[in-house]
Amino acid sequence: MTLHAATDGWVGRPLRRVEDPRFLGGRASYLDDLRLPDLLHVAMLRSPHAHARLAAVDVREAAAMDGVAAVLTGEDVAGAMEPLRPLIPIPNPPRTYPLAVGKVRYVGEPVVALAARDRATAEDALERVRVEYEPLPAVVDPERALDPGAPRLFEEMESNALWRDVLTYGDVEGAFARAAHVVRERFTIHRYVSTPLETFGVMAQVEPGTGLVTIWSNDQRPGLTSGVVAAALGIPQSRLRLIAPDIGGGFGNKRKAPYLIVAAMLARATGRPVKYVEDRRESLAALCHAANGVIDIALALDADGRFLAVHVRDVVDEGCNLQNPTLHSLLKLSNIIGCYGIEAVRFEAAAVLTTKCPSGANRGIGKPAMCFALERIVDVAARRLGRDPAALRAANLIPASALPYRTPVGAIYDSGDYPETLRRALALAGYEGLRRTQATARAEGRLIGIGIAAAIEPSTSNLSSYMLATRRPGTSGVGEAALVRVELDGSVRVATGNVASGQGYPTAIAQIVADELGVAPSAVSVSPWFDSHENPWMFSSGSFSNKFSGTDTGAILGAARAVRDKLVTVAAHLLEAAPGDVVVRDGVLGVRGAPGRQVTVAEVATVAYRDLLALPPGMAGGLEARHYYVSPLADVPDADRRVAVQLTFSNSVHVAAVEVDRATGAVRIAKYAIVHDCGREINPRIVEAMVHGSTAHGIGATLLEEFVYDAEGQLLTTTFMDYLKPTALDVPPFEVVSLESPSPRTPLGAKGVGEGGAIPSLAAIANAVEDALAPLGVRVTALPLSPARLWEAMTRAGEGRGA
Amino acid sequence: MSVTGGAAVAGRHAIAITVNDVPRRATVAARTSLLDCLREEWALTGTHAGCEHGVCGACTVLLDGRPARACLTLAVQADGARVTTIEGLAEGDRLHPVQEGFWECHGLQCGFCTPGMVLTAVHLLETNPAPTEIEIREALAGNLCMCTGYQNIVAAVAWAAARLRERSATP
Amino acid sequence: MKPVDFDYVAPPVLEEAVAVLASAGEDGRVLAGGQSLIPLLNLRLVRPRLLVDLRRLTGLAGVRAAGDGVAIGAMTRQADAETAPLVRERAPLLAAALAHVGHPAIRFRGTVGGSLAHADPLAEVPAAALALDATLTLTGPDGVRRVAAEDFFQGFLATAAAPGEILTEIEIPACAGRGWAFVEFSRRHGDFALAGAAVVLALQDGRLGPASRIVVLGSADRCHRARAAEARLHGEPPTASVLDAAAAVADAGLEPASDVHGSAEYRRHLVRTMTARALGLAAARLAAP
Ligand SMILES: Cc1cc2nc3c(=O)[nH]c(=O)nc-3n(C[C@H](O)[C@H](O)[C@H](O)COP(=O)(O)OP(=O)(O)OC[C@H]3O[C@@H](n4cnc5c(N)ncnc54)[C@H](O)[C@@H]3O)c2cc1C
Ligand code: FES
Ligand code: FES
Repeated sequence: MTLHAATDGWVGRPLRRVEDPRFLGGRASYLDDLRLPDLLHVAMLRSPHAHARLAAVDVREAAAMDGVAAVLTGEDVAGAMEPLRPLIPIPNPPRTYPLAVGKVRYVGEPVVALAARDRATAEDALERVRVEYEPLPAVVDPERALDPGAPRLFEEMESNALWRDVLTYGDVEGAFARAAHVVRERFTIHRYVSTPLETFGVMAQVEPGTGLVTIWSNDQRPGLTSGVVAAALGIPQSRLRLIAPDIGGGFGNKRKAPYLIVAAMLARATGRPVKYVEDRRESLAALCHAANGVIDIALALDADGRFLAVHVRDVVDEGCNLQNPTLHSLLKLSNIIGCYGIEAVRFEAAAVLTTKCPSGANRGIGKPAMCFALERIVDVAARRLGRDPAALRAANLIPASALPYRTPVGAIYDSGDYPETLRRALALAGYEGLRRTQATARAEGRLIGIGIAAAIEPSTSNLSSYMLATRRPGTSGVGEAALVRVELDGSVRVATGNVASGQGYPTAIAQIVADELGVAPSAVSVSPWFDSHENPWMFSSGSFSNKFSGTDTGAILGAARAVRDKLVTVAAHLLEAAPGDVVVRDGVLGVRGAPGRQVTVAEVATVAYRDLLALPPGMAGGLEARHYYVSPLADVPDADRRVAVQLTFSNSVHVAAVEVDRATGAVRIAKYAIVHDCGREINPRIVEAMVHGSTAHGIGATLLEEFVYDAEGQLLTTTFMDYLKPTALDVPPFEVVSLESPSPRTPLGAKGVGEGGAIPSLAAIANAVEDALAPLGVRVTALPLSPARLWEAMTRAGEGRGA
Repeated sequence: MSVTGGAAVAGRHAIAITVNDVPRRATVAARTSLLDCLREEWALTGTHAGCEHGVCGACTVLLDGRPARACLTLAVQADGARVTTIEGLAEGDRLHPVQEGFWECHGLQCGFCTPGMVLTAVHLLETNPAPTEIEIREALAGNLCMCTGYQNIVAAVAWAAARLRERSATP
Repeated sequence: MKPVDFDYVAPPVLEEAVAVLASAGEDGRVLAGGQSLIPLLNLRLVRPRLLVDLRRLTGLAGVRAAGDGVAIGAMTRQADAETAPLVRERAPLLAAALAHVGHPAIRFRGTVGGSLAHADPLAEVPAAALALDATLTLTGPDGVRRVAAEDFFQGFLATAAAPGEILTEIEIPACAGRGWAFVEFSRRHGDFALAGAAVVLALQDGRLGPASRIVVLGSADRCHRARAAEARLHGEPPTASVLDAAAAVADAGLEPASDVHGSAEYRRHLVRTMTARALGLAAARLAAP
């Protein structure tokens, strides 16, 4: 392990981002900044009911309005397409469409879409649509949704259960039987979401004659979306051109094929381009939420406090999500043992439909909840055993010498030094000093607490892991695609199947390619946009599961190395040298030991594209390569259902110190220290910023953010006035130290960092708050830690009723 | 309806606003926000819509020199006003020191909040050339950033403050 | 998220504004800073036919001395009132309350009159006006009338202003020598308060006199005079036990509702807590003017 390994290449340097000036000057091109001649604007009528039968939908008056070009109902859409293709096959899949057909199943579900000359007119027209709803009982509580008598969302399904299974790894029974201590707790997981500042949007155009559909969207997973949209529109995928412009934040939330389909259908119906951009209310109610649910967790410990086994019963409230309904369940398997050497695991999974916004990908997907439950139960154990929570953790961390470490579930922890990460974090936070301050403060009646969370931050989802739920082959592994091209003048262009939304890919990619081709990063242009007709891509292309550092880099390196090989071969031919003697540096290819014998990259490129007869005989022209990288780390479930759900593993320890105001319940974060290790850092400046941003997401989720549904399934937090995001005053200054333990298993030794802080921060703050309230005996089992919730817990504890 | 604030043509109003020192005209419906007017009528798309109900600050412009939510200002209300948008800040390729600070300190990720943040910070530094960290955080608390966790934004503003002070110290 | 279609006028003189507004009846709305009205328009929660913008009525903006007190034009931007020397000197409670209103960008546009006329039960300016015993001037088709803040706020977003009446000025009487404080608790900086208290303490011969007022916000349909608490002050010396006794009943008569930000019980508790904090601060200012 080294601290910011010095390197003489570009990788590892904290360069400023090459892409920034256009954003700084207001010259970026986000989806809503794009316009086409004769553009129509779309608005959608959305369900005001959680659950209701659609008795009648009358759009005649709206359609007749001046300025309205086309109106689509659910019936129109259903008549024009096959049902939406879910990503994960489920038993008896119901037929669903981009607009509600027959029933509505959550507040905010689109019922009618129409296109008009401007958005205001479109919204005027929505007011003329008449819908008769016959309300049905809402299904709000995920556990009650599993009751046999519960109202069903889909009559054609046997129940509201999407997936139920029990996965057992190792001797769980034996471990609990011989345990000296078993600690249990039930945690309620709440709904929140990262709310990218730019909402989701789409612009669609249909070319007359060919029927080519061009869709611009800030969709983060074009590889997945393309197939779903083409199938719905009944066109070959080659006739669908998907373009992702600059994206104003994504965090996993931005994928919504149904909106793309609706937009394309309206473009078809009108013969004009159309644009749809969610407004904030629509986005909060209907884009996606991180799933809520309930986690019952039990941890078995031996007499010395060693963790023997963990048993998790996980009920996930997927809302009305039929697209990828096992997502929040499966991903928990990738951090279910955290950083600890726990050898036996039982995971009882239940993914449930309710009448709420469909759950979807959100920074960390399920892992923040898993880490919250595990790191909270460790604190519960420490208190039970009378051990310091730092010491109990230290005693159970997987030692560096045990890495690579195969977890009972089948993941391989690749690199890191978990005990050192903890030691450094405690030192950074000044843990001993904080404990002394706490003691003094407690004596004065102040409520100060310190919380620690040690986390595994897994990245790159292995799509084979879905076989655990589907037991069907067809989708497996994971990869990414890249194109590297040296232009005739020696400059370099790169395009990949991934889409950037603030992660600095253009800069990081330039650094990687610059090293491989021996040029400066400034000579490398990275396509800022994704274009399915230009960029190379595959099914797993796009921005998800933190896969850039550990996986996309393989594609970029593969393409760059192929180009480099050709550069060297051609240069060797031109210089009459052996390829093995050719060295590349600063845009020049020379011959080892023969100063002066050299050609520039531009000269080689000129040969490759223009002076074709100077190429080695028989060699094809061009200086370009594509690489479709397949992660060698991915596997398929074995007979014992072991599988690497995710493929590379960063780690971190967060230490938070908080003070709770006894009078108001307000939590103030007094200190926040982070030590993290994501392997080799391609650009440390970008890495650290990712740590800040992801941790802020966790802080928002822990202290402020919550989607609240009432018993009738009404969403009560529909604007930024009541869905509260953290401001510059709510996020504390972070102290961050990074360790670099290069992964032996990834192309550059780099591992994911994007989700990072969103995973441990919930637990760190919750642990700190419970520690602060320990004198009152308050237990923290639910988030967010709103002042009201804490005050009520303190009050109840004070009245001797417990929390 | 007798109408001032621009002549009305069938419920539409002729307005004139000086945007980034350029006089601009448009005929808009009364309900058109300054935000939509900038973006749709004049293609100044650097001013962003993040919530359209006044909370996020993505639409912040300087209206007669002071930060204002363009989503909570009707275009007709701005008739006759001076507006500065993010597009008007740099001089050619020379970034404003606040923009430079954001670049230097990596104060942006997706960039969607950046125009509003930058303009809010420009005004802060005009009125308070040496803000403390807390003053910076307070001044920016009406602008949401979903990406950065604010730390680098705060650093960027402090960096710009130092640069501006240096500049004014050297005649 | 676009408003319904409406028309717009920005009359250059008050009489015309009043006339236009009166003729529009229920369909007309005054537009001041727009910081409350425009979000409601964008969400289509308010659907006027006509907006009457007061922005050209330059006579309505500005701060002037009124006797030993201060008068503030309705169209004075909140930020300008907050920093006006006369306000800071003669109505420091109002300046302190204004500092809690939203964020600078909101206060540069939002007006003092707009905040009063909007009468949000959680708004700071109405609470300060009530605590300071302000008088509001309304100009309507039938002329000018003055209404005490006490009588102006009538319920959730409801005031004594009749349709067609425009709030033109707010006058705050002299309050030199009094102790004052504005304290609130909100989820985030700049948010509307969960609860708050605006307090004025006035000494008469070493005892708290009838001009001592406690106004609380956050638990009623409007800002609320905590009369039971005031009663505990009147005629008493400003000692800690007197202040505590007053704060303990600051929630008397309130029937807050439970909502996503907390239970009724919590809100009552916050009202008492904020009142206690405000009384403490105000008493300190009394002692050390
Ligand atoms: C993000 C955000 C945060 C905010 N936070 C707070 C806060 O913490 N505390 C707070 O108090 N406010 C807050 N506000 C509201 C803000 O203070 C408004 O400026 C104020 O409530 C209304 O003033 P305005 O001048 O903008 O009025 P407008 O929005 O123009 O009008 C509001 C209402 O009053 C009427 N009206 C306005 N002026 C007059 C007049 N002179 N005569 C008769 N009727 C009139 C209008 O017809 C309308 O019904 C916030 C607003 C936003 C967007
Ligand atoms: S878009 Fe104007 S404040 Fe959010
Ligand atoms: S950089 Fe994305 S919202 Fe601020």
